[in-house]
Amino acid sequence: MTASASPVAQKAIEAAKRGRSPLADTFRQFRKNRVAMLSTVFLILLVLVAVFTDTFVFTLFTGEKPEPLLAPYHYSEANFIYVNAPPMTRTDDGQLYLLGTDYLGRDILSRTLYGTRISLAVAFVAATVSLIIGLIYGLISGYSRPAIDNLMMRTVDFLYGFPIIIFIILMQVYFKSLSRRGEGGLADVLINIDKAMGGMFFLFIAIGMLNWLGMARIARGQTLSYKQKEFVEAARSVGATNLRIMGKHLLPNILGPCIVAETLAIPGYIFLEAFLSFIGLGVNPPTPSWGLMISEAYPALRTYPHQLFVPAIALTLTTLAFNFMGDGLRDAFDPRLRGEG
Amino acid sequence: MRTHYRTYLVMAVLVVAALVLTACPAQQPAAPAEPQVVEVTRIVEGTPEVVVVTATPEPGMMEEEKVTVNYNWGTEPPTADPALATDTTSSALIGSIFMGLTDLDDETQEAVPALATSWESNEDKTVWTFKLRDDIPWVVYNPATGETEVVTDDEGNPRMVNAHDVVYGVKRTLDPNTASDYAYILYYIAGGEELNNADPAAENFQELYDATGVEALDDYTVQFTLKVPASFFPQIASMSQTFPMPQWVIEEKGDRWIEPGFIATNGPYVMTEWIHGDHLTLEKNENWPLWGTDYAPSNIERLEGVMIEEVSTAFALYESNELDTSGVPLEQIDRVKADPVLSQEFVNAPINCTYYYGFIMEKAPTNDVRVRKALSAGIDRKTLVEQVTKGGQIPANTFTNPLNFGSPAGDPEVAPWALPEDMGGTGYAAAVEMGKGLLEEAGFPNGSGLDVLLMHNVSEGHARIAQAVQAMWQSAYPEMNVTIETQEWRVYLKTIDKDSPLEDQPNVFRLGWCADYPHANNWVHEVFNTNAGANRVRMSEDDPQVGELVKEFNETTVKAQVASEEDAKALYKRAEQLLVDEIVAIAPIYYYTTVNVTKPWLQRTYDPIKLHLYKWQLDWEAKKAAMQ
Repeated sequence: MTASASPVAQKAIEAAKRGRSPLADTFRQFRKNRVAMLSTVFLILLVLVAVFTDTFVFTLFTGEKPEPLLAPYHYSEANFIYVNAPPMTRTDDGQLYLLGTDYLGRDILSRTLYGTRISLAVAFVAATVSLIIGLIYGLISGYSRPAIDNLMMRTVDFLYGFPIIIFIILMQVYFKSLSRRGEGGLADVLINIDKAMGGMFFLFIAIGMLNWLGMARIARGQTLSYKQKEFVEAARSVGATNLRIMGKHLLPNILGPCIVAETLAIPGYIFLEAFLSFIGLGVNPPTPSWGLMISEAYPALRTYPHQLFVPAIALTLTTLAFNFMGDGLRDAFDPRLRGEG
Repeated sequence: MRTHYRTYLVMAVLVVAALVLTACPAQQPAAPAEPQVVEVTRIVEGTPEVVVVTATPEPGMMEEEKVTVNYNWGTEPPTADPALATDTTSSALIGSIFMGLTDLDDETQEAVPALATSWESNEDKTVWTFKLRDDIPWVVYNPATGETEVVTDDEGNPRMVNAHDVVYGVKRTLDPNTASDYAYILYYIAGGEELNNADPAAENFQELYDATGVEALDDYTVQFTLKVPASFFPQIASMSQTFPMPQWVIEEKGDRWIEPGFIATNGPYVMTEWIHGDHLTLEKNENWPLWGTDYAPSNIERLEGVMIEEVSTAFALYESNELDTSGVPLEQIDRVKADPVLSQEFVNAPINCTYYYGFIMEKAPTNDVRVRKALSAGIDRKTLVEQVTKGGQIPANTFTNPLNFGSPAGDPEVAPWALPEDMGGTGYAAAVEMGKGLLEEAGFPNGSGLDVLLMHNVSEGHARIAQAVQAMWQSAYPEMNVTIETQEWRVYLKTIDKDSPLEDQPNVFRLGWCADYPHANNWVHEVFNTNAGANRVRMSEDDPQVGELVKEFNETTVKAQVASEEDAKALYKRAEQLLVDEIVAIAPIYYYTTVNVTKPWLQRTYDPIKLHLYKWQLDWEAKKAAMQ
């Protein structure tokens, strides 16, 4: 019986023997990795910061304008008397700019905190979009007949050959001209969502829509390695439909590696957003994004280095944290490492 | 797990080691420069061929070193064709290699003699006669020998620039085949507009060509017959569109006539090398007779011009002595002013340009004059120039820059709300109050429901100003929504063209205007008169709100062309009142200044329009000493 059980089922059996659930087992493994734990705590804090930077969650349904909560000021509040102020500047009327101000007298701390939203949103939305598309595509491709599999994978290869940055730029230009024309119908709804999000929405779609290719390959590879296994044969022999085999037997088994791969891809998305904002194709000003802040501050590196370092450090720490967490997750999911250390 | 940490440790050690090791060779003396052979495509008479040149100077070349100024053109000059130039970079280049009928005085901006030694007009200023010098030869640079050669005629005599060359140049600019964007500047010439708008295939085309009001009375006298009186015509004659042009080269080489080796020029410098997108070198034209006179006192024999668009990069080169003069990036101005050395090299000179925001008058919500006025009043110009641009710019209440005849700049009778209190205006607080009232009237209390799209072309400086204006608008009218978009320059120009579809256009666009010749006519009439100018703001006499005012504006700028000086001033003032305060087609923001640093060994002019390289002085010994 054990021989024909799927790895997930096997884990469950093993865990049951030791009196622990498989998830708890994985978590226990993950907890042992201190760097990964630290990164996770950091990321949880970051999510809290992103959510509670202003009162957005409380005013979501009341229609009021959100007020800054964790951030001392609103990100677009410009104090033209104190432009390029150094850190720890206290104004005459007692306001404090803890990390100084930028060239328009906007509080850098507040802008960095608000910027968390963009980076995390891009991380989660783009990752989710690409995970869902890639997983389904790869699963179908891997499970289908070789002819269809071949066709689907060559499509992926073709898209791989496409210069992704140019494609994103084209999409951004198209979406922006769409929003300028103000067409009705579905486009209008999308445009309004985009405006409310400071121009991020289309960016997410663009990034998510183009980054599922790697995910599709991983999912296909995993599917191929499992679909000949005995537990799939067993399921088929008792009359399970293809859909059921894919959803119930294959998906849970390939999900782990895919999530890990996606976690490790997140820093790439954050950097991509930063890069697009850096070249002026990202968020609409004055919405702060770390990439935009860096791009605005880098010419003044010699004069006002703090304007560059604050968002740059935030960006570095966040991408590092995602990398370490992904690392830890991979180790925890991998049964071969079980029992070591 | 442990193995992982060990790997990280090893990698960290390797990285540090790599950093330390790569840092070491820098302390060793640099190896002597070996001549490197590079291949450069140079246009040599005939077809392009590959010439092998040495990249590092050979010892023998040091003897004939030339007094060289290192300059940054700022961008690839779009053209070197006098008929086609529309931008400052091209104009600076053309002004150095060509010589026109007149030139503009650095300080007064009045026309002074250049190729023309004197000129006169008839009573009503419709016929202008220019007497030309007879000692300026056409020259061509020969890339094969590195010599500048005088063009000779069939008999072997030097081919001097004469009146026929001027006539050809003017007609070529107006010729629709040339497709000069600036031809309209010559519409004052009788028959000019007809020629420019004619169909080249039409039967009467040659007739129109011949009938254009410019003719050579003799070899060195040229006469212009104008359609309307224009007291400013000698200033127009300083523009490259009226320059003499070498007909034989243009007809033989077509579009490639502007390449070094082909182009025949008559100015103080010749173009010796133009590697597109990289650098453009000028060298002294030894055959030019005016060297050493008051007109051209310069000792500069060579200009090496790079094309660096990023000001911060150019400034870094300046600091490492690789440029002799440079702009200063916005964010470094504070440092430059505080630096004991750089602050001495810092020069803030006004230039004849105005930075403004234009309103697309057909697109909602800026189709409402009250909204436009509220937006214009919502810009705190004083704070903007003092805290954001920081280059000593002057807050603007008119379109016409103060360096022009007929400019009412700073006059509190024109849009007083745009001026700060210390300049005689009503100040920003009062302006915002007025703006709030206007928006309330227009149905946007506190800006609620007001959604404005602001567009600018890609540039650090424009982005900062746009974001500052956005912040100002949103603090003045808290409920309004401002979206900023950027486009690449060429795309941008197409987007804001009056013929581009309205749905592609923004509400507010940024532009600057620099004078071609220093006269208010070049500003209000040639830019905004709906019958004459580019009319990007889509101003129309049929506008339901301000149609009557637009009509008055159009009539005013035309009337001013024929009025006496005093009357003209009053009319231009009225035109500005209409443009800025009543029609509110634009929001003038500031009058430009150049924020420059210049090395102590270079004495340069800061002409508002022209480069005037032949008036600069360079202390070569001091420069060499500093380069060591």
